[in-house]
Amino acid sequence: MEIKNLALDLGAFKLLQEDPGQPLQDPTLSGWYVDPRTGQRIFYDSTAGKFFTLAGGVYIPLGYMNPAPKQVAVAPGDRLKITLSFKYTGPAITGVTGYYCIGVNGLFGFNETMVGQTTFSIPQVVSPPSSPNVTDSYTFTIPTTIGTDWDDIYVKIFGGNPSIGGQATTSFMFGYENALSIAGIQPSITEFKISDFAKV
Amino acid sequence: MAIDIVLAPLALEPKTFNVGDTVRVTASFKYTVGVNKTVRLFAGPYYTNLFGKHLVDQCVGDADVSLIPASTPASQTATVDFILIPKANSGIDNGTYGLRVWIEDANAVSEQDDVIIVTGNTGSSDMFSSMMPMIMMLMMMGMIMPMTQQMGQGAEEE
Repeated sequence: MEIKNLALDLGAFKLLQEDPGQPLQDPTLSGWYVDPRTGQRIFYDSTAGKFFTLAGGVYIPLGYMNPAPKQVAVAPGDRLKITLSFKYTGPAITGVTGYYCIGVNGLFGFNETMVGQTTFSIPQVVSPPSSPNVTDSYTFTIPTTIGTDWDDIYVKIFGGNPSIGGQATTSFMFGYENALSIAGIQPSITEFKISDFAKV
Repeated sequence: MAIDIVLAPLALEPKTFNVGDTVRVTASFKYTVGVNKTVRLFAGPYYTNLFGKHLVDQCVGDADVSLIPASTPASQTATVDFILIPKANSGIDNGTYGLRVWIEDANAVSEQDDVIIVTGNTGSSDMFSSMMPMIMMLMMMGMIMPMTQQMGQGAEEE
């Protein structure tokens, strides 16, 4: 069966983007706040200087999902390879967990329908690289039970020694919405039209 | 300089059929599906009145269409036949009808108004059926009138 690739650039964690017309100051104390632009309840960790939202009992950093730059068509039996890469400068880290998810990103967070994990190490890097110098990947086999709305993906890295963050609080996560075009059990039909009709 | 050209789908030309004819409809579409799948294609005439569009259920035909797995949109054509059952057999009346084609349990419907012209239903049966309500009314009046006259005469005698 064909392997289909979807490369992910694990970008930097994005804080709430400031509107030039409406400059906002970050809170000074940790706690729950309401984003005046979206009305969304958000948690601010003043120690880390990061915003989170709570979904399914997990604190998820805000702004990690992005529009997919391309869509990959997959069907049951296909294998989908997701590759992450990032630029790294720092000490060597062993036992980093790569966490790969396919699912449905919705109003209440990301519903993880398929999860894969890897473990990899990062070598010591003393000077900032000009291009991504760490990569990792995981290959999913698409099941027959896949839903046609399982079209979102995200990846994150966490753990390791020394640790780069916990599973629920890591800053290193990135996702794409509508990254997959799923050919599921039910057909998806488009451009349906009558071509001709005649007496027989 | 740019020239924008929009190609509208070609409209179907109206065609005339006799009752009893079999009409073969060809539909085309694109699909994706992950497994071998059979879908059911339907086609039939419909008429439009004040309350909307109504299928002539007795004339609807169906056919199975097999789809092979395709993760990228694949082109498919399929045919389905339906018979214009005469009015005398509780079928379709003379007149002009639309044509609707659809796939069961899928968001796939295509239709066009006023493309099927049906003829051939015998005139006598048409005239009889159209006059039937009037005849029934006259018969009822014929039964009621003598009764009311008898009741009036009874009241005068008292």
